[in-house]
Amino acid sequence: MRAFVSIVRVTFRQVVGGRRWIVLGLLALLPSVVMWFSSMDSTASAAIDRYHDAPLAMLLLLVVPIVTLVVGSGALGDERRDGTLSFLLVRPIRRSTIALAKLVAAWLAAAVIAGAGGVLASLLLAMRAGTWITLGPTLLAVAVGTAGYTAVFMVLGHLTSRAVLIGLVYVFVWESGISFAAPALANVSLSRIGLSAYLGLIPASTPGYTSLTEALGSLAPGAGGALAKALSISVVCVLFAALLLKKRDATGE
Amino acid sequence: MTSPADAANPTVEVRQASKWFGQKVAVSDVSCSFGPGLSGLLGPNGAGKTTLLRMICGLLSPSDGEVSILGTNPRRDHRIYRKVALVPEEDAVYGYLTARAFVAFAADLSGVSRNGVDAAIASVDLDDAADRPISGFSKGMRQRAKVAAALVTDPEVLILDEPLNGTDPVQRAHLIDVFRRLAAGGRTVIVSSHVLAEVERMADRVIAIVDGRLAAAGGVHAIRRAMADIPYRIRIDVEDARKVAATLVGAESVTSVAVAGSTIHIETSDLPDLGRRVPRVARDLGVRLTAFEPEDESLESVFRYLVRRRS
Repeated sequence: MRAFVSIVRVTFRQVVGGRRWIVLGLLALLPSVVMWFSSMDSTASAAIDRYHDAPLAMLLLLVVPIVTLVVGSGALGDERRDGTLSFLLVRPIRRSTIALAKLVAAWLAAAVIAGAGGVLASLLLAMRAGTWITLGPTLLAVAVGTAGYTAVFMVLGHLTSRAVLIGLVYVFVWESGISFAAPALANVSLSRIGLSAYLGLIPASTPGYTSLTEALGSLAPGAGGALAKALSISVVCVLFAALLLKKRDATGE
Repeated sequence: MTSPADAANPTVEVRQASKWFGQKVAVSDVSCSFGPGLSGLLGPNGAGKTTLLRMICGLLSPSDGEVSILGTNPRRDHRIYRKVALVPEEDAVYGYLTARAFVAFAADLSGVSRNGVDAAIASVDLDDAADRPISGFSKGMRQRAKVAAALVTDPEVLILDEPLNGTDPVQRAHLIDVFRRLAAGGRTVIVSSHVLAEVERMADRVIAIVDGRLAAAGGVHAIRRAMADIPYRIRIDVEDARKVAATLVGAESVTSVAVAGSTIHIETSDLPDLGRRVPRVARDLGVRLTAFEPEDESLESVFRYLVRRRS
């Protein structure tokens, strides 16, 4: 347990170290900036509708994927790049423990950064509309979305040194393009799983709810289902990362 | 009869191990073993030392052959790492951690108490810098931090890949002393280096590797003797070089003599004899001797010779 906690602590510092947290923090502020300008002089109902239109979509389709891409791919990728992976591997620790600790640290970092953006956007909405109705669902959507993305990007970061480039292609081509064009593929869209968690908590009578459900494609709203999917993705990725750590050569590059 | 490449009580065994990366053969059919005491793994840069050590540690899987530490294949049982520590060649440190936090992290990962952190830092003489981030450390200080992180786990087998790189002479002497003390305490200490003099200074036993192949093994003196038929090339700077060269040319130990200005290039099969003879000749001729230096101390050339001779 001590090894697990230590890896989480060191990895957390590693993935948000340097200027990373500033850049990612600024990115996480974008939905709030959009919220601020888009909801000026709006009624409460229109403000909620606009929150769903722009800030929430931006949070789930841009902020969460980019933050998790940087943080998740760095969890194991930075270790490979810096040559510190051997420091971890030559230890009496299960590879699955290393992978899980890495995922937990990266997920925590991504969830805190993206979650802060979500909290701020919901705060602005509360100031305009006088309701906190979006806060809980937004945080759940961020938690679920960051979990799925972080797990996938952690594996990608271990597999290739071009993880960020490949991840960007995945986010913009697959998540924001192909999976929207083909609604049947929504089940394998990580951002849509986050959105499904959001819609699972927010009342169906909330302004903008219907248009959001259309964006879900073939996926049904449901917090439990979304959580289960995110958890399954995480478990599979941790096991796969553990297998890679066990089987792949650590060349020390 | 036991091969000189095999230790008497082996704790680390390498059996016909090979490793290739695509078309490149990094280690080829190496068999050797290491036991308690300090062993040197010697070879020029690119000889395959790091690949061999990484195979021993389980970081690389052999393409062929077998490797074991304390009777266990490290790739099959991670628990063996409780008794093994590696100091890798690369800068495997977390720059944002202080040296103390880095060594404590190593203790946590290996499941040992943090009580030994201060002692490990003190043993490499890094006390004064222990609370500074490693990112601000010199190469030598980083090396010492890595060694401290290995020592804190109190390993039975300590593997060090070029641990003296970047250290100054004082630090080097101190680290060699640390390694020797560990070896004297019954630990298996394997130190790789491309510097013959370094290995000669610390190791009782040497495994020499060139082009991924085992070139020589045994005691330092045995390897020295194995090299005895390589002519030494010596450069001598002396007044009236022609006169001195003419005197030396008849000596039995001198293989060849060439004069260029005030410099004499000599090949000899008996360096000690030449070392005694040259000052005597200079004194007898009344000329001033300003330099007597080996010209070809290249380890690589020495080892290439050993490999050629083996094949």
